[in-house]
Amino acid sequence: MELEVRDVHLHFGGIRALNGVSFSVRGPELIGLIGPNGAGKTTLTNVISGVYKPSQGAVYLNGERISGLPPYQIARRGVGRTFQVTRAFRRMTVLENMLVPAMALHPAGRRQEFVDRAHEILRFLTMDHLALEYARSLSGGQQKLLELGRLLMLDPDLIILDEPFAGVHPKLRETIWEFITTVHQQGKAFIIISHDMETIFTLSQRLLVLNFGQLIADGPPEQVKDDPAVIEAYLGKEE
Amino acid sequence: MVEINLSFLLRLLADGLLIGFIYALMAMGLTLIFSVLRVVSFAHGEHYMIGGFAAYYLLETFTGLHPLVAILLAGSVTFAIGAVFERIFLRPLAEEKVERPGEYAILVTFGLGFFLQYLTLALIGPHPKKAARYFDLPAFELGPIKATAATLKLGTIPLSATRLTAAVIAVVLMLIMLYLIHHTWLGRGLRAVSQDKQAAAVVGINPLRMSTLAFGMGTMLAGMSGAALVPAFAWVPAVGAPAAVKSYVIIVLGGMGSIPGAMLGGLIIGVVEALGTGLLPDPNRAFAYRDAYGMLIFALVLLLRPRGLFGRQE
Amino acid sequence: MKRVDWRWVLTGGALVLALSAPLLLSGYPYWLHVAIVAYFYAILASSWSLLAGYAGQFSFAHMAFMAIGAYGSGLMGKYWGTTPLTGIVLSTLLAGLVGLVIGVLCLRLKGAYLALFTIAFSEVLRLTLNAELDITGGPNGLDLAPLLNTTSRVPYYYLMLALLLASLGFMYWLAGSRFGLFFRSIREDEEAAAAMGVHIVRYKVAAFVITAMIAGLAGGVEAHYIGLITPNILILGQMSIVIAMAVIGGIESLIGAAIGAILIQFSLELLRELGNWRLVAFGLLLMLTLRFARNGLIYPLIERLVLYQARRAVIEGREQKAKQVGEGA
Repeated sequence: MELEVRDVHLHFGGIRALNGVSFSVRGPELIGLIGPNGAGKTTLTNVISGVYKPSQGAVYLNGERISGLPPYQIARRGVGRTFQVTRAFRRMTVLENMLVPAMALHPAGRRQEFVDRAHEILRFLTMDHLALEYARSLSGGQQKLLELGRLLMLDPDLIILDEPFAGVHPKLRETIWEFITTVHQQGKAFIIISHDMETIFTLSQRLLVLNFGQLIADGPPEQVKDDPAVIEAYLGKEE
Repeated sequence: MVEINLSFLLRLLADGLLIGFIYALMAMGLTLIFSVLRVVSFAHGEHYMIGGFAAYYLLETFTGLHPLVAILLAGSVTFAIGAVFERIFLRPLAEEKVERPGEYAILVTFGLGFFLQYLTLALIGPHPKKAARYFDLPAFELGPIKATAATLKLGTIPLSATRLTAAVIAVVLMLIMLYLIHHTWLGRGLRAVSQDKQAAAVVGINPLRMSTLAFGMGTMLAGMSGAALVPAFAWVPAVGAPAAVKSYVIIVLGGMGSIPGAMLGGLIIGVVEALGTGLLPDPNRAFAYRDAYGMLIFALVLLLRPRGLFGRQE
Repeated sequence: MKRVDWRWVLTGGALVLALSAPLLLSGYPYWLHVAIVAYFYAILASSWSLLAGYAGQFSFAHMAFMAIGAYGSGLMGKYWGTTPLTGIVLSTLLAGLVGLVIGVLCLRLKGAYLALFTIAFSEVLRLTLNAELDITGGPNGLDLAPLLNTTSRVPYYYLMLALLLASLGFMYWLAGSRFGLFFRSIREDEEAAAAMGVHIVRYKVAAFVITAMIAGLAGGVEAHYIGLITPNILILGQMSIVIAMAVIGGIESLIGAAIGAILIQFSLELLRELGNWRLVAFGLLLMLTLRFARNGLIYPLIERLVLYQARRAVIEGREQKAKQVGEGA
């Protein structure tokens, strides 16, 4: 898997949301994406997943230009994502939620195989007993896990998580952490947006820092931590 | 070559403008409801219809009642219907207790329209009613301007007294509404809720009460539009549907929730309809297609510029 | 011990009743007619619930597609001399084609905007049918040749029943396939569905095309049965009745909507002497159902039955397993 974001700009009317962002992901890296509020983190996610088309620049996946493709095409090519707020299909059962990506990906596949695979993943997330419940009857945390499970059914090479730890109680945070590390070990790349500095510094192998739509740092956490540009972005310039 | 007669064109234009003011008033009601409740009322035409009947029966029953009083009373009737409906059926929406709120709002207001239409049909039957002219014009002649009881002639352009009255009433009511919205505590409350419900609640405005008031006032405007126009048309229980569709066209054209948009949109639709009708050679067909012009505009706006002329980007 | 599965008992009973109705109603041809019309509405209500309840597209143009089926076949018969059968087939395809266009136009419209656009489309069609007197007969209506060479209502009864069962069967198959799954995921959250790889455009448009064709087919058959159609078949009041049937039956259930339609059509006929008051009551029932029983009045009963059976199956399965384990040990 190789993702390349090449000089991406995005303007909304007069607002420059992204201003020449370039980076690439090679192989199963575990990347944290941080930056102050309004820096353009979610916007960048939306560009990679095809919700927005960049005004300038492009995104390549394994050498193929994917910017400009509709979101479902990008998802089928192996980029999975979650949203800042939980977006389970509320009036569908947990199992049906899990089947959507599998059947979208393999129209000719056998349903029973997908069902078996879904149960396997649900067991891994310790929510197999909820398979036949409607998603709307799950707790917020369970819905979050369901979204992760749904992602695994899509079986993407790159997983983008938007604030997976926001508003999550400690027990669930542990589960999500475990999910990320386990799935990462299975060879999947991650880009994780988070406000939670402690978690993201410990978890990720590489950090990208966005500020005002520009990438101001890119490197291992310990290096980024001491980067003056990053400190300035978070604390403001010292006079 | 089709010869376009200038005075004929002006006549159509005048007709369209006059009726456009009523459309604008009605659409203003719809837009008021939308801006506060985020709901398009699919019963708007029925409030218009009931307003017309209310005025008609009030004037029939109490001979000597001043027509303006009848219009105000008709407005109160539809205000009451709207407020009660809002309180029972839309309150849970404002309290965010309803699942799938968008779908609920469409269906339940649609249900109200259905209910009101058949209720009227059951109560008074399908036969058309027509109210007498509200006001006679004083007869005078001033150069090219000539007035008789029923028509005002500007040169060769005749204006019907009934429509002229309705347009004047509409303009006055719209001015009153604009004053209410921009210069009173009520208007401040409505505007605050339409911009930010939570912030409004923080500064001591009760958003639930504002929702009820907005819905009531919106339906009141529809009712008064009907009451003002009842002498102009044969009034039947189904009279509301075309009028309502026009209001939908207008608020989409003007931009959902925009009051100036609703006013301008009303005039545009009035004129387009009148010109469209006048310019088709076969009068029967032209009349039948009158309502279709608005919808053509509607489709184009929806497809090309869904937020309308003055709408905010969602 | 094998227990009774009440789902099949009820389904079987209803089928036997429906199949023997011409015998039971042999002295009352009028009621057979009512049943035919009721099935017609059942097809419309259930296909609308597929579009609105499953796919989340609250279109008010369903009766317009029905009218395209009816007028399409009538006009082809009048001008091209097609037989009713050819006419119905062609006009069903035509309804699908128009459904495709409307579906594509509606892709970017949501909620109230979609409702407004489809109302406008439906009204323009009605105005056009009214205005083009020379072609359509305008308000005086259009005569259609009978579909079947018979004066009896019985063959029409079975035809409409077969049409209802076939369309229900087809829609249930569809709802159980990936179409149904994707329809519902789009209804729930378009953006999330796209992020899961669902081709939103294709399935949204498919929902319009399929339901438009079902409505068009029903419209064509009904029109040739009645023999006369007027533009009044697509006044908004007619659309309201179909919507009310689906909502009261249960908007997210195809069979709920169909049963709702049949029950309502029969009650409307039974209460005929009440005149318009029955529609007043019906409108009130629609609002109260929406407010207090969001899933309709009939669907929850069906759901309870299904759940009851499923739960019992689970319990029985456990008992059996326990027994096997016991035997094994």
